[in-house]
Amino acid sequence: MTSQPDLVRPPRLATWLVNLFASTEEESILGDLLEEYSDLASKSGVAFARRWYWRQTMKTIAHLADTGVRVAPWSTAAAVAGGFLLHRFVSGLPDKVLSAVTDRYLMYWSTHFKAYIWMLNGMLIEHLVLSMFVGCVVALAAKRREMIATMTLALVPCALMGGALIWVATHRPLDVAWMLWLFADPFAIVVGGAIVRTRRSAAKPLPSGA
Amino acid sequence: MPGRDYLGEFEHIIVLALLRLENRAYGVTVRREIEFRTKREVSIGAVYATLDRLETKGYVTSHRGDPTPERGGRSKRFFRVTAKGMTAVNRTQRVLRSMTEGLDLIRSYS
Repeated sequence: MTSQPDLVRPPRLATWLVNLFASTEEESILGDLLEEYSDLASKSGVAFARRWYWRQTMKTIAHLADTGVRVAPWSTAAAVAGGFLLHRFVSGLPDKVLSAVTDRYLMYWSTHFKAYIWMLNGMLIEHLVLSMFVGCVVALAAKRREMIATMTLALVPCALMGGALIWVATHRPLDVAWMLWLFADPFAIVVGGAIVRTRRSAAKPLPSGA
Repeated sequence: MPGRDYLGEFEHIIVLALLRLENRAYGVTVRREIEFRTKREVSIGAVYATLDRLETKGYVTSHRGDPTPERGGRSKRFFRVTAKGMTAVNRTQRVLRSMTEGLDLIRSYS
């Protein structure tokens, strides 16, 4: 049997997603969703209410993203363009560091294989951290449109890689791990945006009476 | 010639819902009123996106109510149509009436 607190608690992930995108109206939107969710759960059951809540969440996110771009297209575009340039600049840094180290210590992969592999793995992680850093910078610059700006920025490499993948797929079988790795950078950018948005949201005062 | 102060389809529906609900118009009641009358599911995001646009245009105003426990301590945002909004909805209604005058829509498209 479902306890009372569970009955009125909507899906946490859905609530978090709405919170990510509803930067100005989160109090009203989340309050309205919770009020209707509780009402539906008591009338039609929790499963029905949860499905309704998820459907509302998806539609609401789509509307909020669309509105965010329409309201401030130029500032969003500027944040994305700046982020793209910053990403291009910082994503080359790990490669330069690796080249500098190998040149300095005259390391060759045939003789220093283990060290080479260790550095390559480090470089891959470094790429992810730098992408997340770029996501954070773009989210900070985009102010209340953190998720829209970072998701748009992430779509740029995704679109480029999508085209490349189609070309590669016509020439040789695709490696799933390699494909996942290709999309890790854009994902890290979005994670950076989500971190900034979540921190900003947490810094706001709690609704009175909560 | 006056500016293009016509309401879009969903804007028009929202303003009419606010007029029907009078001082009870907030997200939940507006969404339910539209669903009940149009028989189509409307997202709360679409309602707020349109209400924000209408508020920017000066057609509606809003104020916050008191926080309530069933909303997790969050307050309601109540909306009201302004005089400018009334003018816009009347103008849109007039234009629609003028455009449909003399058309036998039921016979033409049934």
